[in-house]
Amino acid sequence: MIGKVLVANRGEIALRIIRACRELGVRSVAVYSTADRDSLHHELADESVCIGPPPAVSSYLNIPAIISAAELTGADAVHPGYGFLAENARFAEICERVGLKFVGPDSSTIARMGDKAEAREAAVEAGVPVTPGSQGPCESEDEVKRVGAEIGYPLVIKASAGGGGKGMRVVEAEAEVEAAYLGASREAGANFGDGSVYVEKYLERLRHVEIQVLADSHGETVTFPERDCSIQRRYQKLIEESPAPGLPGDVREGLMVASADLIGSLGYEGAGTVEFVYADGEFYFIEMNTRLQVEHPVTEMISGVDIVAEQLKVVSGERLEIPEGALSPDGHAIEFRINAEDPSRNFLPQTGLVEVYNPPGGPGVRVDSHLYAGYMVPPHYDSLLAKLIVHARDREASIRRGLRALDEFAVAGMETTLPLHLAVLEDEEFRKGGVTTRFLADRELESEGGLLRLVQHFS
Amino acid sequence: MPEMDENRRDPLPLREVELLVELVRESGMGEIRVRQGETEISVRAKPGVPATPPANQTASGTQGVSELAAPSPEMDGLHAVRSPVVGTFYRAPAPGEDAYVEVGDTVSAGQTLCIIEAMKLMNEIVADVSGEVVEILAENAGGVEYDQPLFYLRPDER
Repeated sequence: MIGKVLVANRGEIALRIIRACRELGVRSVAVYSTADRDSLHHELADESVCIGPPPAVSSYLNIPAIISAAELTGADAVHPGYGFLAENARFAEICERVGLKFVGPDSSTIARMGDKAEAREAAVEAGVPVTPGSQGPCESEDEVKRVGAEIGYPLVIKASAGGGGKGMRVVEAEAEVEAAYLGASREAGANFGDGSVYVEKYLERLRHVEIQVLADSHGETVTFPERDCSIQRRYQKLIEESPAPGLPGDVREGLMVASADLIGSLGYEGAGTVEFVYADGEFYFIEMNTRLQVEHPVTEMISGVDIVAEQLKVVSGERLEIPEGALSPDGHAIEFRINAEDPSRNFLPQTGLVEVYNPPGGPGVRVDSHLYAGYMVPPHYDSLLAKLIVHARDREASIRRGLRALDEFAVAGMETTLPLHLAVLEDEEFRKGGVTTRFLADRELESEGGLLRLVQHFS
Repeated sequence: MPEMDENRRDPLPLREVELLVELVRESGMGEIRVRQGETEISVRAKPGVPATPPANQTASGTQGVSELAAPSPEMDGLHAVRSPVVGTFYRAPAPGEDAYVEVGDTVSAGQTLCIIEAMKLMNEIVADVSGEVVEILAENAGGVEYDQPLFYLRPDER
């Protein structure tokens, strides 16, 4: 096992990694910005190094500072968590060059899967179904029109280098192609420094399902049962659950086999997630994330596998240790992202002092969070305050447990997404299961006696 | 972030400092930093003090420095030159050569005080005010972190 890991991240995920290190007897090094002097990851790691001022570009994205911190502390490996440098192929390459192990696949795999059009090609080569669309990037609006004529409208134009809905345009008819192509390309160029775009058939009513994968350097590959991440707002996931409600067994099998084929063809090492859309009984590959994901605990709860610990074993050259039976779901788990956003005011970001922090407890409840009473939420980073994960024998029981735990969860000092989650769990369609990614967009939030309620509107 | 008011002189909270020193000693932590209002107290462990596993030493190159900064000397009109990067602190241009500055030297703004090596690049750190070098806080060839005080200067009176 490696001796010392530098955790190149902050917040709850830095704590998650430090905790896994501690349990494995691996020493941990935290890095932090001057805005995070009072943060738990700085306090709980074995060592810590201040790497820069508050803006992420000067601290958590500051490659020279992070590499220097690793050298000074004698770290053997760097765990990037998610976000920041987690899918930065250049960072992974620099780590490789200076002899630091990067917890993740090699830099060329990150680069390949980070380009959405190339990832699509990789999926096609591996025999994984992709949404009907262009083969590789579209060089002109005429090429988009040609694809449109072939597969029909509506289409969606997406940025090759993109993610999070940036550089993305839905096209309802051929007349809209020109404006949408130019808009998407310009936005992609501005956001990702690469204006290339590709085209896919636009599926309106779809579910987002994904497969957690783990692979070691000895050729063993593991694919876990799917997570359903259809509850989203503006392409940001809010609730994730596993298994996906009502998903037929042969579809689950198909997703797991397709994911295994893809990572097998890539010679993948480490943890990753293969993302699919699922519509009308068919699934299509959309992208692969070559890192640990926010929602990994959902899979941990139903499998009993510590995914971060397995990542550390893989980077140490050891074999995966997956207990028998871990790959068939044990009950049902749901994760709620508690963000510092005010759902009643268009999800306005909140910052400031956490006056009260009282997370829920009891059976089947897990909270991953960097919060404590007295903590100041800085304005410089993302709004995730805590992840609440509930686990019970089936979906119905885990919804009841979720309601109970959300109700117990006390955060004062700022508005959070807690009331939104309660409203989702009270929604009849959600309770039935199998809702699409349009779930929240199709509903209005209404305030009722201090509680929030979702009201469906039909457009 | 509220900046510390350099002219403010609160009575020293000696009792609290004492408690922190005890806590550092017992806990084996490398450093404890406490902030209340505009007062910040930082207590760092000295290596070699028993019950301090090196495990929790910060990488900040404070080895060999036992420091009770309560509140910081900046309140006595001293000016801290802080590290702008993470790296290795060198007091001289090359091994065996004279140090750039010694305690008691008078330096002028723009004068090189030390070098910090980061990723094989030598960054010359210069004085941003003219004055007297009162204290050198980092150890030669030790690691320093971002924003770590390296020198205390007493600025010239204008």
